[in-house]
Amino acid sequence: MRIRNIIAGLTLTALGLIYGFLTTGLPVRSLPNTPGPSFFPWIITALLLVLSVSLLVQGLRMEETEPSNGKKRPIPQALFLCLFIVYLAALPFFGFLFTSIPFFAALIVMYGERRKAWVASFAIGVPVFLLLLFRDGFSIPLPRGSLGFLLG
Amino acid sequence: MNADILQGFLQASLPVNLMATAIGALLGITVGMIPGMTISSGIIIVLPLTFVLDPGMSIALLLGLYVSGMTGGSFSATLLNIPGTPSASATAIDGYPLAQKGEAGRALGISISASFIGGMFSFFCLYFIAPLLADVALEFRTQDLFSLIFFGLTIICSFAAKSLIKGLLSAVIGLLIVTIGQDPVMGTARFTFGDANILSGIHFLTALIGLFAIPQLVGSLRETGRRTAGADQIFGSILPKLADLKQIIRPVSIGSSIGAFLGILPGVGGPIAAFISYDYAKKSSKKPEDFGKGSVEGVAAPEAANNAVTGGALIPMMTLGIPGDPVTAILIGALLVHGLAPGPLLFLERADFAYGVIFSFFWANIFNLIISFSGLRLLIKVLAAPKALMMPAIALFCVVGSYALRNSFFDVYVMFFFGLIGLTMKWLNIPVVPMLLALVLGKQLEEHLRVALTSSKGDISIFFTSPISAIFLALSIFSIVWSFTSERRKKIAST
Repeated sequence: MRIRNIIAGLTLTALGLIYGFLTTGLPVRSLPNTPGPSFFPWIITALLLVLSVSLLVQGLRMEETEPSNGKKRPIPQALFLCLFIVYLAALPFFGFLFTSIPFFAALIVMYGERRKAWVASFAIGVPVFLLLLFRDGFSIPLPRGSLGFLLG
Repeated sequence: MNADILQGFLQASLPVNLMATAIGALLGITVGMIPGMTISSGIIIVLPLTFVLDPGMSIALLLGLYVSGMTGGSFSATLLNIPGTPSASATAIDGYPLAQKGEAGRALGISISASFIGGMFSFFCLYFIAPLLADVALEFRTQDLFSLIFFGLTIICSFAAKSLIKGLLSAVIGLLIVTIGQDPVMGTARFTFGDANILSGIHFLTALIGLFAIPQLVGSLRETGRRTAGADQIFGSILPKLADLKQIIRPVSIGSSIGAFLGILPGVGGPIAAFISYDYAKKSSKKPEDFGKGSVEGVAAPEAANNAVTGGALIPMMTLGIPGDPVTAILIGALLVHGLAPGPLLFLERADFAYGVIFSFFWANIFNLIISFSGLRLLIKVLAAPKALMMPAIALFCVVGSYALRNSFFDVYVMFFFGLIGLTMKWLNIPVVPMLLALVLGKQLEEHLRVALTSSKGDISIFFTSPISAIFLALSIFSIVWSFTSERRKKIAST
């Protein structure tokens, strides 16, 4: 926890400094005795800096209590996030249906399902159901992408 | 009967709204009982629907889910010793030992009955207190409203976090995010970097989907293949016996009162109310030695408490526009999408709708009881449902839900970005609930602060000369000092 507090303290202090710098670019006030658009961001900057420095000091003062765990495997989590990023990047180009089917199939496998028939039927069935539900049921067209013409 | 009350009752009792409540209740029990899925997950699934449904139906659906999700959590707690929701953790202490003795049906019957009584108690609190509080809140001036929101933020930081500094930091980050977009008083663009998408700011529902769903999806990757044995056990009669009902009167009364009261306080939530009620019920019991070994009183008290929290949390949401937990924050979002702002003016301008919400809550409790008792044997089969299919479906709902809000890819990317923020905060042990409350209330906080200072020509004494404002500020300071000292006391005790 000590290391995490130090990381959090440092990151948030940096965030506070950047936010404060950006706040200097905002208009100060337009009318006398009237707080302008930069008034509230300045309060936030001050609070963020005070609290993040306090967290940093707290982290530096505390003793490490958390035993290191060498068994943690962050690979599936990282893979999940990478997969999500690829999916979101492909979504505007290939549309909801054509991107969701492989995405859904990959996720089912990641969560432990190995039966091919189940993977295939749910990977196709769920996105198709959602597309039809939103398009015809709720009149919310989901993104069609450049392959949208195939859907009619 | 007041015309608005009657109108509200009729509105909530429309067949379509009753159907929405029942579907919400069914879904709530289902998501509530599946370990690893929370009520928030269920809400994320139905959220896109609420954008297209009539506001009355949307609220009925969400309330059904909210109320029944609390009860559903106790089913897996009792049968598997795995609480479906954090609020059901205390129920597992005695529910599971009862099930192990072959009395799972008795434990579940007690749990459903206590949930119903707790929920109905909080309905009456909501029905009688909310309109009165709304009347009082109408007298609030802008400085009072600032101090009230400030109090809401500080109290959630005190309760929701183990570390006060981290709780406050979470709220401040939320406030920082709120300043992105047009400022609420003059409309000046702030931190938009010339991007038109950011001009209207970050929609808090998008942020909320990411903050809650993505960390849950990532966390569930570690739990694949969890055994759900116990879901198919034989558990006898579910209907509680008269002797059991007599025995639970005291713990249910304790749980209901504590739950409804703590539900009003932002950030306290079901888990704390359930554990406090359990503790009080144990202390006041004639057989405290039975607690932890399968006491029906130990099942009844926390279950009454966590369902009483739901009605309690609706009181500040309906009357002051302050959400007590993530679910009530989503309820506010669902209302805002339809142009209805919860707060004292809702009772003045749309009293029929406000009472409609209250009566939908009543029906949610009724359907929770009916569906739980009648469908329990079938519903618990869900406990064996493969997570491998549910989690990917939630991932798709996250994308669809954030896209459907404004038909914008930008919102989908924002949702994912907030998912990454949620994961980082989880790793750093920073709670997300204060941030969520800040996202909901931040704009109002700034607006009231600036309007009050403008009216006083920059004189900050306006916040101390108004008695209401001064009281809320004093309470805010008290909650921070109390949280700080109790944190220090714990630290000293542990060394």
